[in-house]
Amino acid sequence: MAPDHTPAPPLVFTPRPSAPPPPSTVGVMGWLRANLFSSVPNAILTVLGAYILYVFLEAIISWALVNAVWEAPNRRACLDAVGRSGACWPGVIAWLPNLIYGLYPKDQVWRIDLGALLLVLWALPLFLPRVKSKVAIGLTAVLVYPFLVSYLFLGGEKGWLWMGLVAGSLATFFWVWLTAICEMRTGQGFIPLLVRTLAGPDPIPERARLVRQLAWAALFVTALVIVSRWQLVEVPTRLWGGLFLTMVISGIGITFSLPAGVLLALGRRSSMPLIRGFCVAFIELFRSVPLITILFMFNTMLPLFLPVGVEVDRLLRAIVAVCLFAAAYMAEIVRGGLQAIPKGQYEAAAAMGLGYWQSTTLIILPQALKIMIPAIVGNFIGLFKDTTLVSIIGLFDMLSMARAVGEDTRWLGLFIEPFFFITMIYFVFCFAMSQYSMNLERRLGGGQRR
Amino acid sequence: MTTPAIELVGVSKWYGGFQALKEINLSIAERERVVVCGPSGSGKSTMIRCVNQLERHQRGDIRIHGRAFGGGARDDEAIRRETGMVFQSFNLFPHMTVLENCTFALTWVKQMPEAEAKRIAMSHLERVRIPEQAAKYPLQLSGGQQQRVAIARALCMQPRIMLFDEPTSALDPEMIKEVLDVMVELAGTGMTMVVVTHEMGFARQVADRVVFMDQGEVVEQAPPEEFFANPRYDRTRMFLSQIL
Repeated sequence: MAPDHTPAPPLVFTPRPSAPPPPSTVGVMGWLRANLFSSVPNAILTVLGAYILYVFLEAIISWALVNAVWEAPNRRACLDAVGRSGACWPGVIAWLPNLIYGLYPKDQVWRIDLGALLLVLWALPLFLPRVKSKVAIGLTAVLVYPFLVSYLFLGGEKGWLWMGLVAGSLATFFWVWLTAICEMRTGQGFIPLLVRTLAGPDPIPERARLVRQLAWAALFVTALVIVSRWQLVEVPTRLWGGLFLTMVISGIGITFSLPAGVLLALGRRSSMPLIRGFCVAFIELFRSVPLITILFMFNTMLPLFLPVGVEVDRLLRAIVAVCLFAAAYMAEIVRGGLQAIPKGQYEAAAAMGLGYWQSTTLIILPQALKIMIPAIVGNFIGLFKDTTLVSIIGLFDMLSMARAVGEDTRWLGLFIEPFFFITMIYFVFCFAMSQYSMNLERRLGGGQRR
Repeated sequence: MTTPAIELVGVSKWYGGFQALKEINLSIAERERVVVCGPSGSGKSTMIRCVNQLERHQRGDIRIHGRAFGGGARDDEAIRRETGMVFQSFNLFPHMTVLENCTFALTWVKQMPEAEAKRIAMSHLERVRIPEQAAKYPLQLSGGQQQRVAIARALCMQPRIMLFDEPTSALDPEMIKEVLDVMVELAGTGMTMVVVTHEMGFARQVADRVVFMDQGEVVEQAPPEEFFANPRYDRTRMFLSQIL
């Protein structure tokens, strides 16, 4: 019989199903073993750390909550009740309005609340789905909102120009919400929708422009009527204080410092010697001087240079000082970000016919700002906390208000509680900012990683 | 005689005290395909980058379709738009999708409505055989794919001249072919092309003329058959013996 030459049938490969991982590596026990008790020294450290944490937290909680006094007429009563083993919160509660609003008149405090609410409402469409004009809305929130809110906070007599600006600002607010609602319901902005309904789907340009102008005029007149009826008592800035003042100074500082920093950074990289020289001088000057010194300079020396009779508001002086200081710092952060963008990106943009401003704003800055987010937000947080320094020139920010509690005769010597309280407030704000920045990084980083 | 597409007359360029280009004279006709080669540091990249003024030359004239650079920023921009450029390192915009990379300049520089820009972009992405990747981000693509997108992006602006600065030097060997195929196809459409490359196979197949540069000068130029078969200069021979 001839040997069989037919090849053996090919072996069939069936992958075996994955077995579950060994129980010691998964679940809570696995995690504990891997991370906390992987070796003897690690286990000792874990136990020690847990003990320290316990002692620490136990002390804070028993002081701040368990042994604390919540109702008392004055500090004496607190001390009689629990001594120093518990916090005396009534002092903080009594001073709470001042910690938040400073010396702002009690019956006018609603204006601050309304201003804050307006900001939230103005920014809200940015987070709504299907709203398309987000860039325009965001820009108006930064550029137009301040007029409305500064009248709200300041009050007093309003001249024609001031009234016009405030009314324009209010009209823009109406536009923001009409646009947001129209875009969410129909996918079209308010003004385009109006043009469509009044002038037909394919109008002649003159007619469309007329409708557009009329729409804005109507919004403006409505706003003007409302604004002209407002009679707000003047609240001079020396009465501003507390968290409110902190927010005003840091808010303006933050919104000003980013664009100013971008311009300074671009100027420093400019090929025009005059612009570059100015930017370098500005940045180096403000960066090499402590913020306190700048505040002092603006507060005491600026009046010397101004003509007699010209009085610049003290708050304004502080704000200008903070803005310039923050802008100089921001400029160097932005410059760092710009340097991280490869030269090829500029070249590719130039080769496609983009000019300097187009390639900078559309190609370079979006990429640079994204990698700068941690540094920028870090700077914002620093700025927010640095505003405590304005107490040096006699403005009553949250820190000075907290110190004032212990100088009140009823609560004499009560310092720890108010400081603990504002520490919590600062923590909440700064932590929120940092979380938001991380969230932003994650979202923007989306499809671009390998 | 018709005006040449690109004309360099006595072009010189210095980096500090170092002269990178030494009075280059070169004329490239419309629909001509020129391959520029030479050792590194020979000035070939500098030369091609002067053609669209990514680098400014300091002496001499560069004329594109008869119009010379140097008549004000706005004019220079207009002249530059006659050329499209493909880089060694792709230089796609990483924060935009492939499609946005292509439509971007159309909508911003040419003020084209978005729908039309998309249509043009997709037609060019199809041309480089990559339309299915339009929604991805550049960093999610392979090197060869990225370079093909870069070619499509440059073509979107409807340039009359395409400049390639070592388009395949940053690619893995198996990706070089897909990019070269696209370039060969482009050459078939009659586009004026200037290609800085070491791909001598490509030069043989496509080029009308090979230009050899060394030390900032054009040493010799000839049609590929002649250039490869009997180069006249010893320097050219030495170079060819090292890369072939």
